[in-house]
Amino acid sequence: MTNLVPGLGIARGMLLTLRRFFEPKATIRYPEEQPEGSPKFRGRLQLLYDEYGTLKCETCFQCAQACPIECIDMGGIDTKNRYHIHWGPPETYGERRDESALRRSGRPVPDRAYEHFAPIDLAPVDAVMSEYDYDPRHLLPMLEATQAAYGYLPVAAIRHISNMTGAWYAMIYGTATYYGHLRFEKPADRPQADALAANRPPESSYRDALAGSLAGRGAARRRPARPRSN
Amino acid sequence: MTVVGRAWNRLTLPGKLVFTIVPFLLVGAIVVVALVVIFGQLVLDILAANLPIVRFAVAATAVLLMSVPTAFLIIYMEMKVIALMNLRVGPDRVGPYGSLLSVVHGLKVLMKEDFTPTGADRIVFTLAPVVVYLASVMSLLVIPFAPGLFGQDLNVGLLYFFAVGGLSVVGLLMAGWSSFNKYSLLGGLRSAAQIISYEIPLTLSVVGVLILAGTMSLNQIVLHQSGSFLDWFAFKQPLGLLIFFIAATAEANRTPFDLTEADSEIVAGFATEYSGMRFGFFFFAEYVNVFIMSALLVTLFFGGWTAPFDWPWPVHVDLNPGALGVGLLFLLALGPLVGTIVLAAPFWIARSSMPTWQALIIGFVLFNLLVGLGVFALAFLGWEWVVGLFWFLGKTYAFVFTFVWMRGTLPRVRIDQLMGFAWKWLLPASLLNLFVTAGAIVALGR
Repeated sequence: MTNLVPGLGIARGMLLTLRRFFEPKATIRYPEEQPEGSPKFRGRLQLLYDEYGTLKCETCFQCAQACPIECIDMGGIDTKNRYHIHWGPPETYGERRDESALRRSGRPVPDRAYEHFAPIDLAPVDAVMSEYDYDPRHLLPMLEATQAAYGYLPVAAIRHISNMTGAWYAMIYGTATYYGHLRFEKPADRPQADALAANRPPESSYRDALAGSLAGRGAARRRPARPRSN
Repeated sequence: MTVVGRAWNRLTLPGKLVFTIVPFLLVGAIVVVALVVIFGQLVLDILAANLPIVRFAVAATAVLLMSVPTAFLIIYMEMKVIALMNLRVGPDRVGPYGSLLSVVHGLKVLMKEDFTPTGADRIVFTLAPVVVYLASVMSLLVIPFAPGLFGQDLNVGLLYFFAVGGLSVVGLLMAGWSSFNKYSLLGGLRSAAQIISYEIPLTLSVVGVLILAGTMSLNQIVLHQSGSFLDWFAFKQPLGLLIFFIAATAEANRTPFDLTEADSEIVAGFATEYSGMRFGFFFFAEYVNVFIMSALLVTLFFGGWTAPFDWPWPVHVDLNPGALGVGLLFLLALGPLVGTIVLAAPFWIARSSMPTWQALIIGFVLFNLLVGLGVFALAFLGWEWVVGLFWFLGKTYAFVFTFVWMRGTLPRVRIDQLMGFAWKWLLPASLLNLFVTAGAIVALGR
């Protein structure tokens, strides 16, 4: 209807620009005003090491799921030697890659023998979720109930919770890793996890790779690698 | 070294300059006074005998001098207003609120190389900006700025306006032809086609006003609309106003009809080969055109310099400073001093943290502001030029703002839409307006 009145569109456009005329301006007068970065701004992506020489990354996936262009992929063993993790499109999985290429690039080479994703019976998780009405706001009780049902938190169960409740996998995983009483491995799998940890390349190899890729003046002033405390 | 030499060496550089210049100034002043005394009467007589020529020369000079600051002002206005509409801040570095940026633009244009391409027709190439600029500036001569403030009250003022304004097409074609560049030529032809097409509805749309006013003198047309704002021709000729506004937008090469030099699409059209001040003249002419078109719009349809409702002004303010006698001398000597101190006192008393000199500066500025406002109010009350200029420039710049506002809003039309609109819609509409107006005049017997 409004399209039938000639000139109405022009009038509306003129009104819009007139409103903009009085609105606050977006310009930051740079030398006098320093722009404040976004509160979530973290600068360049870089894996950091703590004072003991271990990677600080908790593999909570939150960086990967927040990345708008999905440029972050993760694969291999998590830093707590617990189990095999994946994030990213399948073609970026470490397992799909050529082993020697991974070795050249300084990435950890995955253990092909490891079965990372054992299928489980999902009926107990479904029962837990229907009890909480599939509401991700009751995530913690849900996870506790799941652990009570299985004895630990299987990755497949977490995936299933993510699918059914609509909560991000990274969010559930981040919650689960935050609480110490939630486990990710069967008590019986502990020896296997330790074996994997022994298999893992030492932290210094990561740091050497990192220093090599950053190769600048920083490389010369680098602290010598310390043996891991455990 | 002599005494004089030592004294000279003690002077600073400014001192030396002053000591060199002052004798020359003294001698010059004496010579000027002598010349005025000897030849003054003769010169005055000659000037009085050739009053029309003198009037023309003065008016032309004044209009030329006025046009450049006007262009600067409108350029600044355009930069600032469009920036504000784009949620930007716009110029804010040079001068207060960036107001001197367009002056800097002018100086920049002056400093650039004045290039003439090989194979160009040098004479025509040089003359083209002059023709375009003068065509714009000469149109200003007939516009009444205030009661009694106009270059010439021609009885064919409107005709003169369109005739001289039409000369700018010649300038554009000259520029396009003489540049020895096919793009310039195409641009020139394009703008000539556009401007000539829109000249017709532009001219026809004002015929209704001519019939109503019964005169072509712009001054008489303005007087015809005096009274309240209901007497403006805008209310008697709404269709004519609309057509005139659209055609004037095209005539002044403004968005949405700025195909002549669509700065975001083509390389400046006819001005492709121009640089330096020659380009500057085209640039200034564009903005002077905006002013002229707004001024003509105001003159024809919005009552020119008349106030929108019956003001009690200009009233006669009977001030005779001479009656104060010696008191005037004291007033002139002590007024600024006392005023500054009185105005500074509240700041100095109220804010103990403020140094005296800051309070004094504030007082001085306030005093100047007050006195300036007072003088303006007095002039506004007593001098009809000031009232007339106030209303005329106020209305004109309101329309200049509208043109700029449109540039900040509307997209550009295509060339076929442009021409089709002129011939298929504006021309019939202006003819309809003309016939209806004439019929109404005949029917009402006025």
